[in-house]
Amino acid sequence: MPRMKSTPLKSLIFLVATAACLATPLLDCEAQESASPATAQIISRAQTFLSTLDETQRGKVVYEFNDSAQRKRWSNLPTSFVPRGGLRLGDLTKEQRDAAQAVLAAALSPRGYEKMMQIVEGDEFLKKNDRGGGPGGRGPGGPGGPGPSGPGPAPGGPGAGPGGPPPGGRGGPGGAPMFGHDEYYISFMGQPSATKPWIIQYGGHHLAINVTLVGEQSTLAPSHTGSQPARYEVEGKTVRPLGRETDKAQALLTSLDETQRKQAVLGVAMHDLVLGPGRDGQTIQPEGVKGASLTDKQREMLLDLAGEWIGILPDATAKAKMEETRKSLAETWFAWSGPVDQPGAAYFRIQGPTVLIEYAPQRLGGDPANHIHTIYRDPTNDYGAKWVKP
Amino acid sequence: MGKAVTTILRGAAPLLLLLLAVVASPSTVRGHQLDEYLQATLVAIEPGDVRLLINLTPGTEVAAQVLAQIDRDADGVISSAEAAAYADALNQDLVVRLDDHPCELSLTASNFPLPEDLRTGWGIIQLEYRVACGAFAGGPHRLTVQNRHQHNVSAYLLNAAQPKSPALQITAQKRNYNQSTGEIEFTVQAPPKAAPAAAIIGSLAALLIGGVAWLLKFGWQ
Repeated sequence: MPRMKSTPLKSLIFLVATAACLATPLLDCEAQESASPATAQIISRAQTFLSTLDETQRGKVVYEFNDSAQRKRWSNLPTSFVPRGGLRLGDLTKEQRDAAQAVLAAALSPRGYEKMMQIVEGDEFLKKNDRGGGPGGRGPGGPGGPGPSGPGPAPGGPGAGPGGPPPGGRGGPGGAPMFGHDEYYISFMGQPSATKPWIIQYGGHHLAINVTLVGEQSTLAPSHTGSQPARYEVEGKTVRPLGRETDKAQALLTSLDETQRKQAVLGVAMHDLVLGPGRDGQTIQPEGVKGASLTDKQREMLLDLAGEWIGILPDATAKAKMEETRKSLAETWFAWSGPVDQPGAAYFRIQGPTVLIEYAPQRLGGDPANHIHTIYRDPTNDYGAKWVKP
Repeated sequence: MGKAVTTILRGAAPLLLLLLAVVASPSTVRGHQLDEYLQATLVAIEPGDVRLLINLTPGTEVAAQVLAQIDRDADGVISSAEAAAYADALNQDLVVRLDDHPCELSLTASNFPLPEDLRTGWGIIQLEYRVACGAFAGGPHRLTVQNRHQHNVSAYLLNAAQPKSPALQITAQKRNYNQSTGEIEFTVQAPPKAAPAAAIIGSLAALLIGGVAWLLKFGWQ
């Protein structure tokens, strides 16, 4: 192979490229300094969390931004059924766990963070009170942990984390625990950055938060919230993690006149989320009553209802998203399936050009309002698709 | 007497164990509709291309029944041939008609989880079929889909996907209550007529012939 002749121009290009490579982290630091206080705080807390980890843990928590397998690794089901990637909270020290929670608290609004914690505590309540799922309770099993040892682990690979699902194992009696606040996972896709896209993924049973950050912009889509039980008590206080969603939807339905209600209520049984986990990139034909057919007050109620999901993100981001949603309210649909007089027992859907929300009660043989799945998507911007060129 | 009681207890032991297992099974698991075979179908209609994207999720209580129909030789492995045979069996249970004309379905993609994953109740079988129904003429059409697969244990979801092409618009979707049967009405914008293009080409050809004739008759000068 002929050796390339060195010329002053080539030397200059080489020097510039080398300098650019060396300066990239510095540039990112400078970009972080110029980031808004809110963005800088998220990055700073993420870096603090990473600094509390040992090398092995760091290798497990950060994936490539475009890791398609890890992006899909979220679900409404317990982690013993669908293994998550990243680090299991139950395997972290108190310092590490606090640092992980601090990342989430910075990335969400206070109201959103409270909702997430209520969902997690609901799962802890379930662990302590569910038949067969009490302390140390074991589920019927599922695949072993993904055991990510770096970017792009093979799904269903051997579990490696201490205290995690049995190595490579199938759960089953004596297998992995199903419920409780230890069974939640955190991971990043991409390094925390003020300039490059990255994702914070946090979730477990009934929770899958995917916050994609691109500079000052961020999106929650797609994310899943759920609750079981939908109502529980802690120290005499009633907690309803998805209570506002339930009540606001019922109020909106109640406000519809006969013609509107006839359009909104679908004559079909909705057994589950249509665009839940595993349905990335898909869209469905809108149904129900169109925003254009609603009164101004009803449109505000619809927006306020959507705000229960949009408002999980910090106020500045949520405000921009609410404005975007408001602009297309006339093109936003509201659909309902199920009983009209049992709050929380019916399926509903909000669907507009840039938002899709589903709320699907699960039949337990008892109270359908006690076990809820929801999904939040943005057909134009799941995982920040409109900000990140493939 | 004591011996008789012991015999009865011994005989009832398996039943008692089964009862205990049922009582001890976490209600959350039952809450995930494990006594149903959820069949969720998205119908993607684009000009010249109709596809069914089907996700099949057998709950744990029906998983063995479903698995028995897939892993025919019960060796604990779903072979390619077994997967293809099951996809074909589902195909036989699907009835798709465009404007009352039956359409053929062909499998274009499939993904079967491991049998042990299916048994846990969260394994999802994903199948995609192309619906051969010819090119759409401009105007209104009606596509009907009926799913008769495992109807005794199944729950269904049937939805039209939002078309990507602006030339096609869904105007209505009607389904029966359990969504095993649905009808999607849509309109297709008529493709631009070929006549203008042909007229332009014809005019250019006539101009060319005329030009050549003029040159032949009068020459360059």
